[in-house]
Amino acid sequence: MSKHDIQSEEKFMGQNAWFSLFMGVTLLIISVYPLLAQTSAPLLFLGTAAFLGSFFMFVIRGGFTWKMKYHLTYKDEYLNTIDTIAYKHVVLGLLFSMGGVYLFSDDLALEVSHTMMASFYLAVMCLIYGASIIWQSKD
Amino acid sequence: MQNQIAKYRKEASLSQQELADLIAVSRKTISTVETARFTPSVIIALKIARHFNTSVESLFTLQEHD
Repeated sequence: MSKHDIQSEEKFMGQNAWFSLFMGVTLLIISVYPLLAQTSAPLLFLGTAAFLGSFFMFVIRGGFTWKMKYHLTYKDEYLNTIDTIAYKHVVLGLLFSMGGVYLFSDDLALEVSHTMMASFYLAVMCLIYGASIIWQSKD
Repeated sequence: MQNQIAKYRKEASLSQQELADLIAVSRKTISTVETARFTPSVIIALKIARHFNTSVESLFTLQEHD
């Protein structure tokens, strides 16, 4: 693997982590705020716009084209290891959040839609992935 | 497991990035191996040892709890 490939992987992983955090926060706002404000339509539009904006910013900053190829694993040993550990953290976080929802969902069931719950789970997964990568990447 | 990679690297006046480039790994790999947060594969251990013209045993030392 060339020096350029490795540096690209390192750069991609860093951007991927921050993108996951931004996407997680966006999804969290989309899923939680409508419940608090008793409304959904305006924020859903704003959230979708924010998500698309951050996605395209990620694509442009990452230097990708429409022909970009995603690799499921990193070639560098350490990057691949922290990526795998981050997925394990995601699974653990998802289990805990699902457990929490299982325990408390009866109180929320009438006001929370399936869409909001799906957004909430996705937000948890994205936030944990991004935070895990950034935490493991520290020197 | 302790290691002497930082010592060898400084003696060779190399930065972490330069050593990483020479053995084709990321800088984070070198950084975390040096601080013993990450145990590298045999392949990377051999590459580092070969670069410093020494043995793997002189670079890495097992501790009692390993």
